[in-house]
Parts: sequence; C-alpha cells; structure tokens
Amino acid sequence: MKRLIYPIAAIAIIVGSAFTFIKSQDWKISDDYSVKFTSEDPSGVFRGLKGTISFDEKDLAASKFDVSVDVSSINTGNGMKNTHAKSEKWLDVEKYPEIKFTSSEITSAGSGYQAKGTLEFHGVKKEITIPFNFQNNVFSSSFEINRLDYNVNTSEPAHGASLLKVDITVPVSKA
Amino acid sequence: MTKKIFFHGLVAGIFSAIASIIYYRVHYFAFEVDFSKLVNIAGLVGINLLSCLVAAFGYWLFKKWFGNKAEIIFNFSFSILSFASIIIPIAAKLPLDIQNPELFPGLTVPMHFFPALAWFTVKPLFKE
Repeated sequence: MKRLIYPIAAIAIIVGSAFTFIKSQDWKISDDYSVKFTSEDPSGVFRGLKGTISFDEKDLAASKFDVSVDVSSINTGNGMKNTHAKSEKWLDVEKYPEIKFTSSEITSAGSGYQAKGTLEFHGVKKEITIPFNFQNNVFSSSFEINRLDYNVNTSEPAHGASLLKVDITVPVSKA
Repeated sequence: MTKKIFFHGLVAGIFSAIASIIYYRVHYFAFEVDFSKLVNIAGLVGINLLSCLVAAFGYWLFKKWFGNKAEIIFNFSFSILSFASIIIPIAAKLPLDIQNPELFPGLTVPMHFFPALAWFTVKPLFKE
C-alpha cells in the first residue's frame, strides 16, 4: 500500500491541475488615463474609461482586455461641437452610450504587443488589431479608425475628417 | 483725447470690471465649473479697462471725423462690435482638460456687453 502513495499523489496532482484556473495579473485603471482622438477636425478626449484588464507579459494566452469608454464624456474643447458630436447625426449617445473593445487574442509584436478583438462603436462590431506597449505599469497605444466604417454620419463623409488617430495612455496598478 | 473722454472710459472700465467680477462669482456658484485657468480676476480687470479705454480713444477719433454725428455712429459701432464679438467665446476651443466647455459661452458672452453697458450708463456724468 505504501508503494502506491506516491503514484496516487502524482495522479491526484496531475488530475487536480487540469481543474486549476490560471489567472493572469489583473490591473486597475488609474484616474490619470487619457483617451485622445486627433484629426484635422475634430480633436478631443473621452473620459469614463472602465473595464477589466488582465495582462501578464509571461502569459499572453491568459491575458484579456474588456474595456469601454462613455461616449457622453466626449470633450472637443468646444461646447457646440460636444453637443453636435453627441447628437443622433453623429455618435448618437442615447442609442450607443459606450464604445467597447473586447480582446480575443493578445500576442507579441516586435518590441510590443497587439490585441486582436472586437471594437463595438456606434452599434457596429468590427474585428480590429490594436498595437500596444506596456512599460512601467503604463499601457500605451496608437492606431487609426475610420468613422465611416462604423456608420458615423455616412451621409456627410466630407464633413470633418473621417480618419481619426486614437492615442491611448492608461497607467495601471496591480488589482 | 480730452480729459473728459479719458475719464469716461476709465470710469466705464471700472464699472464694467466690477460687473464682470460679480457675474464671474455668480456663475461659479451657480454652476460650480472652474474656468479660472482661462478667466481670472486680474484678467477681467485688465480686459475691461482696456476695452473701455480703447472705446474712449475710438470715441475721440469719431468726434474728430464725424463732428455732431459722432455719438450716434459711435454708439451703433460699439453695440455692433460688442454683439459681433460674442462669436469669439462661442467658437473658442478650450484646453481639453477643462470640463463642461458648453458652459463657457454662458460665462463670457454676457461679459462682452458689459463695457458698452457701462459706457452708456455713465455717459450722463460726462456730458460735453
């Protein structure tokens, strides 16, 4: 019987490990984050970034982003433009109050990383790849989106820029 | 510029500055939005004095150019300029760290009329 103790223990550990949930490091979003968009016209920022960030440089397979911004928090620096941006013609805040990104896969890319996932903006879901870096507990990313791809005021494609550069900086602390 | 016109501008500027400071405080207590990065007491005093002294200089020039009709032409010009100038705060793009930019015109647009209002209010004290 004594001889069987170690094989049984080994089997128990192996079987038990199959049920072990390996969770990536969770991060808490600090208040001094920045979500900026720039173009010839308009430019501005969003507030109201929330969601969950699980990221481990050593375990990218278990890493995941599930974040959103509050569309009504848009600030272009001009009250009139803010009102227009929130209106039905543009972002239609009442109908689409959030812009959401949910990653499906995070991989290394050069000196940084990239997150493939679904961006839900103005009721349109599109698969996109967002490049990002993670240094000194700060996530940073820069990419472009075309508002026309998300049906934002498609009736006036030349009214303001259609291509927007998005710059995101998110300092985080361990949750 | 005559002494009377200069003091007309100066007194109007002081009254206009006082009105602006009172309105600035009232606006802050009503909406609790801080625009002090863009508008502050020293700036309000300076811009109101400057506006009314520039108006005084303009009035003096109008007197030279238009004689008896100077006052009516000046009054119209001052009112029209005050009205036209409201496009500046309405179209202004504020720094992005300032919240509620939609409340900025509510603070500044009325102030654009204070120099003209003060000028017309104190006018009877400086009859020539």
